[in-house]
Amino acid sequence: MRQDLELEAIIEDYLNGKLTPEEHAAFEQLRNNDPIVDHKVVAHKVFLESMAQYANIVKLKEQMDAAHAHIDVASLTEELKPHPSKLVRLWRSNRSAVAIAASFILLAMVSLYSIQNNNKQAGTFEAMSQDMAQIKRSQSGLIRDIKSIKTDNKGAKGENRPRFGGSGFAISGNGYIVTNYHVVRGADSIHVQNGKGSYKVQSVYTDPVNDIAILKINDKAFENLASLPYTIKKGASSLGESVFTLGFPKDDIVLGDGYVSSKNGINGDTLAYQVAIPVNPGNSGGPLLDNSGNIVGIINGKENKTDGATFAVKSKYIMEALNAIPQDSLSKRVSYGKKSLLRGLKRNKQVEKMQDYVFMIKVYNNN
Amino acid sequence: MSIKISSSLPTDREVVLGILNDSVEALNKLYVSYFPMVLQFILNNNGDEDDAKDVYQETIIVLYNKIKSGSFELSSKLKTYIYSVSRRIWLKKLAQHSKKTSNIADFEDVLIVEEDMEQHEQKDMQFDKMKEALESLGEPCKTIIEDFYINNQSMQDICEKFGYTNADNAKTQKYKCLQRLKKLFFQL
Repeated sequence: MRQDLELEAIIEDYLNGKLTPEEHAAFEQLRNNDPIVDHKVVAHKVFLESMAQYANIVKLKEQMDAAHAHIDVASLTEELKPHPSKLVRLWRSNRSAVAIAASFILLAMVSLYSIQNNNKQAGTFEAMSQDMAQIKRSQSGLIRDIKSIKTDNKGAKGENRPRFGGSGFAISGNGYIVTNYHVVRGADSIHVQNGKGSYKVQSVYTDPVNDIAILKINDKAFENLASLPYTIKKGASSLGESVFTLGFPKDDIVLGDGYVSSKNGINGDTLAYQVAIPVNPGNSGGPLLDNSGNIVGIINGKENKTDGATFAVKSKYIMEALNAIPQDSLSKRVSYGKKSLLRGLKRNKQVEKMQDYVFMIKVYNNN
Repeated sequence: MSIKISSSLPTDREVVLGILNDSVEALNKLYVSYFPMVLQFILNNNGDEDDAKDVYQETIIVLYNKIKSGSFELSSKLKTYIYSVSRRIWLKKLAQHSKKTSNIADFEDVLIVEEDMEQHEQKDMQFDKMKEALESLGEPCKTIIEDFYINNQSMQDICEKFGYTNADNAKTQKYKCLQRLKKLFFQL
């Protein structure tokens, strides 16, 4: 018994490193030779570790109890216990979920708003009638240098200068011409001009909704035209179909070439096509034809912020306008859905054949 | 949480370093900071404030041991860790008392702490064994052992306290107690 206790004391000192080096070496020797001693050492080590751990936790608990005494548990309990109101409880337990949901809704609203805004074509419609007064002025500068007398003459009776200009095309042999309503809107007098001459016309029909106007040449100098080489296309044009237009953005006829780029016009306007054709002020009212020489529309504007987005009134609205004119007054009227004379011709021949049927519209406005 | 945790919330780093350095102040701060969170959880899940205290203290012990063992990495917020451990301990207690454990009302994110809990349960078993062994040791052995091993008193102090005639007698007495305690501890 006595020996056991001594051994116990030595083991503890050994484990705590309190033995002198000699004692330590001697004990190691003993431990190596005697498995029972070795077992006791291991057991005591485990025990001491458990005891140390136990002591740590006991101390920790004491500390925590001390800290706990500083907390006003009663009032906290009052504050935090399950709230009788379901709403408050729901809010408390789902606070983060509600916050996340709210932020998602906010995000969705913001993105929806921006998508909506993006869907709107940012550009605005710009009618392609030409402000002649301005153009002429910039051009007259050039002319004045070369032919000063002529410009002086013109300058003397400035009210004879056209204010606006556009394009138009014949829809019958006896001088009915289609153009855009916005070209002739508010006009005091209108003249048209083709390769053969300039004629006075009267507006006989306007359709502001479809932006179509029909003019009638009212001039003795006018000789009836031969049969119209083009026809009006019956169906709708498909996306990507090649189209071309003739018009008067300047004093000479100008050919523009492109394709149908969208079935609808600005902001989903179903009255018009969107076509990719470069146009300029003055092209308004010009015919838009496909490769076979069928009129598919009338150029009437472009989007001012997008390049190559030109709009054309669909051909079926031309027919509607035509039907509004007394039919017996139209001789050699444009045919509808028939085979055009331009079919199969090369573009230069097509233009050559039809250029006499495309007119420059000159609008005079004395105000 | 809208509660007054925010008054002087110690940073997670402060807490870890404080515990590693046995700082009493750090432990107090830690304790006071996160108790309301655990209290709220327990109160809203079939418990009272005493349950909250037990669960919370056990949680702090888990955290303490983990930090002391050097295996604690601040991969998540301390708050989340404490909440997760408390939640796990409380769920286990609820299951033990066969109270219903469905519809746990949660207030925080939850981490998976199974590994830590297994380690903790082992240590807890050791703790309970030691406690039981000490309880059954009887006086004066219990006090002598506690004074020596837990309160780190010298044999001289113990000798005076218990009125032994000399330190050797006290020492002998201590080793007798120790032998009995070890026997009890390893038997349990």
